[in-house]
Amino acid sequence: MSCGQHFKVAIIGGGPAGIGVAVGLAKRGIGPVVLIERRAEVGGTPMGYRKKPGGVPTFVEWTRGRVVFGEELAGRMAKRLAKTDTTIRLSAQVTQIDPVEKRLTLLWPEGVCDVTADAVVLAAGAREQTPAEKGWLAGARTARVGFTRHITGWLDGNGLLPARKPVVVGSDLIAYSAAAKLRAAGSDKPVMIDRRRSPSAGLFERLFFRRWTRPDWSGDVTAAGIKGDRSAAGVQSSDGQDWHGDGVMICGELVPNTELALLGGLAVELPSRQLQLARGQALSEPGWFAAGNVLGGFHGAQWCYFNGRQAARRVANFLE
Amino acid sequence: MTQFGTWQPKIRGKLFYNWPQGACEEALRFTSAGQLGVEPYDMAIVGAGVVGCGLAYRLSQYDIRVLLVDRLHDVGEGTSKANSALIHSGYDAKPGSLESKLLHEAEADWPGLAARLKIPLDPIGGIMMAVTDEQERQLEAAEKNAHANRATDVRILSATEIREREPNASPDVRGGLLVPGESLVDPFMASIAYAEIALANGVDILLGADIAGVELGQPSGAPLHHLVTADGHRLPARRIVNAAGLGSRRLADGYGGGAFDINPRRGQFLLFDKSARPLVQHILLPVPTTHTKGVLVAPTIFGNLLAGPTAEDLPLEDPAATHTTVEGIRRVVEGGSRLVDGLARQPVIATYAGARCACNQGSYVIRHNDGAPGIVTVTGARSTGLTASISLARHLIDGMQKELGLELSPDSAALDCRPDSAWPGWWRRPFENGATDARTDHGCAICFCEVISGGEIRDALDSPLKPRTMDALKRRTRVLSGRCQGFDCQVPLAEIVSGHTGIGIAQLTKNGPGSELVVPGQAEVTA
Repeated sequence: MSCGQHFKVAIIGGGPAGIGVAVGLAKRGIGPVVLIERRAEVGGTPMGYRKKPGGVPTFVEWTRGRVVFGEELAGRMAKRLAKTDTTIRLSAQVTQIDPVEKRLTLLWPEGVCDVTADAVVLAAGAREQTPAEKGWLAGARTARVGFTRHITGWLDGNGLLPARKPVVVGSDLIAYSAAAKLRAAGSDKPVMIDRRRSPSAGLFERLFFRRWTRPDWSGDVTAAGIKGDRSAAGVQSSDGQDWHGDGVMICGELVPNTELALLGGLAVELPSRQLQLARGQALSEPGWFAAGNVLGGFHGAQWCYFNGRQAARRVANFLE
Repeated sequence: MTQFGTWQPKIRGKLFYNWPQGACEEALRFTSAGQLGVEPYDMAIVGAGVVGCGLAYRLSQYDIRVLLVDRLHDVGEGTSKANSALIHSGYDAKPGSLESKLLHEAEADWPGLAARLKIPLDPIGGIMMAVTDEQERQLEAAEKNAHANRATDVRILSATEIREREPNASPDVRGGLLVPGESLVDPFMASIAYAEIALANGVDILLGADIAGVELGQPSGAPLHHLVTADGHRLPARRIVNAAGLGSRRLADGYGGGAFDINPRRGQFLLFDKSARPLVQHILLPVPTTHTKGVLVAPTIFGNLLAGPTAEDLPLEDPAATHTTVEGIRRVVEGGSRLVDGLARQPVIATYAGARCACNQGSYVIRHNDGAPGIVTVTGARSTGLTASISLARHLIDGMQKELGLELSPDSAALDCRPDSAWPGWWRRPFENGATDARTDHGCAICFCEVISGGEIRDALDSPLKPRTMDALKRRTRVLSGRCQGFDCQVPLAEIVSGHTGIGIAQLTKNGPGSELVVPGQAEVTA
């Protein structure tokens, strides 16, 4: 990719939403399109949930009415992407944006490079909240305080169990799937704590994961600290409740990856980091759109894919 | 063009990790005192914090055999790693005190020192802000005190002048004190740069060795002492400097050192996201009380905004000495909001706490021939140790020449600087300066928040002190320290470290034995 290249549309992020945008644009014959992914493969977060015998499938494929492994679902999406003429840039990170000129500065293996586009779709996904962002969890900064992303990285990526006695902080669908994943890989029954009084995952979702584990639940924890000297030894609440463990997993409660929008001066609400939308999926600057979990909340991979397809429609309307 | 990753000087000193089954290569592993040679050291410095490293750096300019030893698995890993990351001008010290003298000298040293040693420094200046009438009345005395400390550029500002400089200053601000001499600094790079130059110049460095006691030599002439590690190694030295910070009392008990009490004072800090940086233009300081300097709000050299610290006295052995609390964090937000409007709305990315080495006998307690001939105790660096590290090293060397009969001749081959390639990558972006022409891994970001490449990680692994823990890499490269706090980069980082060094990925630690990233002792599982 030569520097200064111009595209009709640039898509930031190669997860389900970004792929949905690319596929949607291709179906409309819009091009050339570039999809920029900072990791070495497309597929995004679901790709990290590898398909393994005895593992826990956690991704719902609504169109076929099945629960599958993230890798299967993302793999199918990636195949659809491969059939398009989209230019795919891997290991390429957008480091700066100029919203008015629609210029993106990239860092990629060959160096720093600018691309421009007539429209840009931000499909950068989301990440899990850090303890500091939660506000009610403080304490020690030790080893083995991790996120669900680390559980998939250690377990599916490297065949290593991050914790034998996990304390899971959080109670949404992601937290339950993390607990099930750890248990299926041989951990003790996980302890689950959250600030909420009752788990935020729905009853049906909790029932689904009972096949693997039913975590020991404690709610209503309003102030707590991570215990431990060099490694996490559990969590202790300020009123003296004590949950022992050898690893603390911070799971769920997503924060949208809106840093680029913030950096470029697009409208972002703080401290929630929510994008401020002009209408639909359009951002505060004309020609900028967003798709998938970067819009906030927490959505499954297939929702994000179709949300990307919808964004492609909006982009097409804008380009006309 | 700067060659990146080329700070691999001819290393004259030996470097070992006392890490029996741990995550370092065999060549770096310490197994017996014989690896350090048979000759006793002229000087052994216990404690590789900023004070010990600064002293080792200064001593490395002379022809003298020095050992620098620390119980942790990197330099600057204790009190030196959790502070407010500022170079103080010493305007508020007690006039005539040693602290005042050291800070005054150090302030003149720092610009040149930072340029030579490649320590990022930004002289943005500070403003002490009075937000009550009572505080406003104290400003005049504070100005006088600053002038008595030879900080002659300090002057009083009106509320209007402050608002011109700080549009987001609290509406309560009544006036303030301009303190031009305060600077932002990379607090980690100071210890690292000192230690790297010391190592290159022939100082031996032993990390991971907890000194449990001191065997005193016969008190005739120049006695030969031995440091004894917790696992039984004996390290011979004619002179010993106790720069062990919070551990200095325990070590001093081992050689019968004079009376002093360490009173660790916990300081909790909040780190705000880079989006908060434009809120503040200077280092904003509150008017201090007798107990504490109070909660300041300052940019960091890394581009974040920092608020803190609290000041909580804790017992010396309290394991929570570096834990944060929900209550403490709330107090920091309250304190910071008294100075800056809108601070509470900014996203916090991390909290941390440090234990300052406060000594009840005052700041900078220095004792020569303490307990036995040839032993020096230096403690009580409190919160100005980073700033004073360079002038303190000179002061200690002068003192040892006078009191210990130390004779020094300059080492004509000694290095006194690091090359441009030693600038940390986050400061002097290698990929913007052609580094990707030679190596594409300089163009592959693994830390997305701070844009740190795999190339920068590999260069750090190859740097003179051979950092082998995640925290050591974090302090050198800023990996793991962005807003996602390692969400994206932790596992990829471990994979790069394991791939580059050959250390098994399950062996890798956050900061030494007991901090393995995954539960130890497991075969691979499948799930």
